[in-house]
Amino acid sequence: MKKAGKALLYLLLCCTGLFVVTFVIYFFNLDMKLTSKIEPLLLKHYDRIERDQHL
Amino acid sequence: MAVKKSGKMVNLSGIKGDIRYGDLYKPGGKVRKRREWRGVKDTLYDYSRWLGIMMTLGKFVAKPRNVKAMFRYRWMANYLAVPMMVDRHTQGLRGEYLRMCHTEQDLIIIDVAKLLDNLFRGDRRIGNDKEFSDKVVLVDENEMTAVMMGFPTLKGLSRETPSTYVSVLLNQHAAEHYIDVAQEYGLAGDVCPMPEAEAGVSIDDDAPVLGKCAIQCNTTCDGSLLGNGVISRRLEKEDGIPVFQLPAPLRHREDDVQEYAAEEIRRAIKFIEEQTGEKWDWDYYFECARRVNVATRCRNEWLDMNKTAYPQVFGSNLALYTETNYMAICGKVPEFEKADRRLMKLAEKAYRKQKMAAREYRHRTIVWGVQSHFYMDFLVWLLNCWGIVPLTDMLSMINTEMIAETDTPENREQAYYDMAWLTENMIMRNRTHGGYRVLLDELFEFVEEFDADMIILWEHITCKALDGMHGLFEEKARERGIPLIWVDHQLFDPRVISRQGVRDQINTYMRTVMQEEPLDPTLEILEDDNSW
Repeated sequence: MKKAGKALLYLLLCCTGLFVVTFVIYFFNLDMKLTSKIEPLLLKHYDRIERDQHL
Repeated sequence: MAVKKSGKMVNLSGIKGDIRYGDLYKPGGKVRKRREWRGVKDTLYDYSRWLGIMMTLGKFVAKPRNVKAMFRYRWMANYLAVPMMVDRHTQGLRGEYLRMCHTEQDLIIIDVAKLLDNLFRGDRRIGNDKEFSDKVVLVDENEMTAVMMGFPTLKGLSRETPSTYVSVLLNQHAAEHYIDVAQEYGLAGDVCPMPEAEAGVSIDDDAPVLGKCAIQCNTTCDGSLLGNGVISRRLEKEDGIPVFQLPAPLRHREDDVQEYAAEEIRRAIKFIEEQTGEKWDWDYYFECARRVNVATRCRNEWLDMNKTAYPQVFGSNLALYTETNYMAICGKVPEFEKADRRLMKLAEKAYRKQKMAAREYRHRTIVWGVQSHFYMDFLVWLLNCWGIVPLTDMLSMINTEMIAETDTPENREQAYYDMAWLTENMIMRNRTHGGYRVLLDELFEFVEEFDADMIILWEHITCKALDGMHGLFEEKARERGIPLIWVDHQLFDPRVISRQGVRDQINTYMRTVMQEEPLDPTLEILEDDNSW
C-alpha cells in the first residue's frame, strides 16, 4: 500500500514537473526562439548543396 | 459621397487575458516574445493543442527519410515555423473560435505532414520506394483534385503545396529565393509570383521526383501557364513522368462549355488509367461525392450565419480551411468530414449564445480579390486592430451546389459534369475567370446579402485578371455609397509591399476617411519585416 502510494506520488511529481517544463517552453515561446536560431544554419547548408539548376 | 454607416456591436462578455496583442511582438524579431494569455481555461486548451502539434512534428522527424529531406530541400526549413503559424491565426481567439481554429489548423498540419511523408517515401532522392511511386499521380497545387475521387488505390500528391503554398503561410520570405532563381533564368518578373516560385523550385532542382504520371491544369492565369510549362518540361523530358494538360473552360458559367469540360475530365481519367493500370472505382467516387456535399452544406450554413448579426465561421477560420478542404481534399479524406461536423457544432453553439469573436464589431466587410499569401493572418489583424469583421472572402465563395452522390447509370454520366463543374470552379479561377458577372456583379450582390458596410479589395499587383477591373469596382462602390479600400500586395513577395505596407493602407483609410481610432492601437504599426 505504502509502495503504491509512493509510486503514485512519484508519478504525480513527474507529471507536474513535465507540465511545468513544457508549459514554460510553450508560454515563453522557447520552441520558436530555438528554431529561429536553427534556420540560418540550415540556409547556409542549402547554399552548399550541388544542384542541377536549369530551365 | 454618401457613406453607409452601421452601428457597432460591443461584446458584453469581454475578452479574457491579453488584449494588447502588439505588445507580444519583438520589434524586428523573427518570433514573438511569448504566447498569448487567454485566461486559464483557453490558455490550457491552447497549450494542449500545442502539445498535439509537437507530437505530430515529433512523429514526422522520427523517420530518418524525413530528416534526410530536411537537409536536402531548402523549403523544408520553413516547417520550423509550424507552431508560430498557428499562433498567428489564433491571435485574440477565445472559446469556440479558438477551438474552431485548432480543429482546422491541427488537421491541416497532420494532412500536410502525411503529404510530405508520402512525397519523400516515393522521392527518387530520398525514400526511393519505386512501388509506392508508381501509385502516385502528381497534381498541381492550385488544382481541383476531383479527377482523383475514383482512384482509391492511387495517391494524388502535390509537390507545390508543401514547397511553396504552405511554405509562404509559414514564413513570409519562403518564396523569395525561388522567385529570384526563376527570374535569373529569364522568366518575366511581372507575372504572379506563386507559379513563378513553383517554377523556381523546379529550376533550382528542389522538387521531389516521384510519380507515375502528372496532371496539370490551366489554373488561373498567364503565370500559371508559364510555370506549368517549365515544370512539365523537366518532368517529361528528364524525369520520364508523362503529363496530362487538363484545360478547363474559362467561361465556366456558360452552358455550351460544359460538355467540352466533361469530355476533358473523361480524357484525364482515361490518361490516369492508362498510365497507372488502375481502374476508376464508382463506389469510391460516390463516397467522396457524399463527403464533398457534406462540406458544401456546412460551408453554405456558415455563410448563412455570416449574413446575420452573429457571424461565426469567418476570417481565416473560413478562408484557410475552405481552400484546403474544397480543392486539395475534395471528399477524399474522411477526417475532414468529422472536422466539418465538429466545426458546425461549435458554430451552432456560439450562434445560439450570440457570441462574438472580438471586443467590438465596428464594420462588416466582404474581402475580395486574391489575398496576400504572405500575410494570411491579415484577416485576424483586421478584426483585432479595427473591429472589421471579414464576413467572407472571394476565395471562399466557390461552389454552393450539391453534386450527384448516389450510384445510378444517370448519375455516372452526371458525375463527369460534376467533376468538370468543380474543376471549373476551383478557388480563385471561378472569380478571376468567367467574366465581369462572377468578379464584379456578384461582389455587390454579396454586399447586399451579407449586409456588409465596407469592401476590402486586394489588388494583387501582378494579377492581370483583376487589375483590369479596377475602375469598374470603384464606379459600382461609388454608386452604392459603400466604402471600398484598395489594398495592394504582391502575393508571395513581401519585398515589394511589406506586411506593414499592407496594414498602412487600411490604417490610413480608417483614420482619414472613416475618422476612426483603432480598437487595439498596439497592432497599428508592427516591426515584423523579419518575422516568419
